[in-house]
Amino acid sequence: MAGTDQLSAVFAALADPTRRTILAQLAERDATVTELTEPLPISMPAVSRHLKVLERAALISRTRTGKWRGSRLEAAPLREAADWIERYRRFWDSSLTRLDAHLAAVQAAAEKEL
Amino acid sequence: MHTEAPQLTVTRVFDAPRELVYQAFTDPEHLAQWWGPTGHSLPRDEIECDVRPGGHQRWTEVSADDPGIHIHIHIDLTDVADGTLLAGVMQVGGRLQEGVEPFRTRFRFEFHDEAGGRTRLEIRQWLAEHLAAPSEGGWGEAFAKLDAALARAQADLEVS
Repeated sequence: MAGTDQLSAVFAALADPTRRTILAQLAERDATVTELTEPLPISMPAVSRHLKVLERAALISRTRTGKWRGSRLEAAPLREAADWIERYRRFWDSSLTRLDAHLAAVQAAAEKEL
Repeated sequence: MHTEAPQLTVTRVFDAPRELVYQAFTDPEHLAQWWGPTGHSLPRDEIECDVRPGGHQRWTEVSADDPGIHIHIHIDLTDVADGTLLAGVMQVGGRLQEGVEPFRTRFRFEFHDEAGGRTRLEIRQWLAEHLAAPSEGGWGEAFAKLDAALARAQADLEVS
């Protein structure tokens, strides 16, 4: 599991709808900036900026074939982000089940005293 | 502006009055009884609760099954409304379970009245440690700032 900085960068990168759209495109196949810009209502430099954020979060890697620069989706950080959410969900699930039992016990004890 | 959803949302309804559920989160005696997975416990003398805006909560979580586990929970409270709201930043550190790194998460716990004297607890968590406390602008603004900061950092890297 990567450290918090990496995970924060991943969640921050995922926080933007345009970047999620780009990731969805890359999930289908590697693509160049030109290809990624085509379906989006923003300029190529804007797409490049989003790609930099994604690259920084290690969600994509940049490839180069001849003069074509492509982007490729990296699945591992996405999986780590999903793992974090899943682990926390399990934490709350078991804690809140204990809380439920605790609340029942506290109220039963209070009723007994009356 | 993009308003961002928390990374984690958990909702649970308890058959208990709101004040009691809130107390379970803010009173050391209560916290020690339920926090953490089964098998984990909170040494009572290591629980600190100073519940108010700007206050804090601290405790340690140990495991009967695994003596290697010694988790420190540090909560800094930013927003507190008695009986209805706890919000702030939670830091999870110490010796955690295998494969888990220390991390920080922003959280918001809301306590709502439900019919029949029950209480609905809503938990939201955001993992984003670089964010300052969101002001009136809220999370959208905070994320926009983060985006800008990330873009700047990236640009700086390219220049250097």
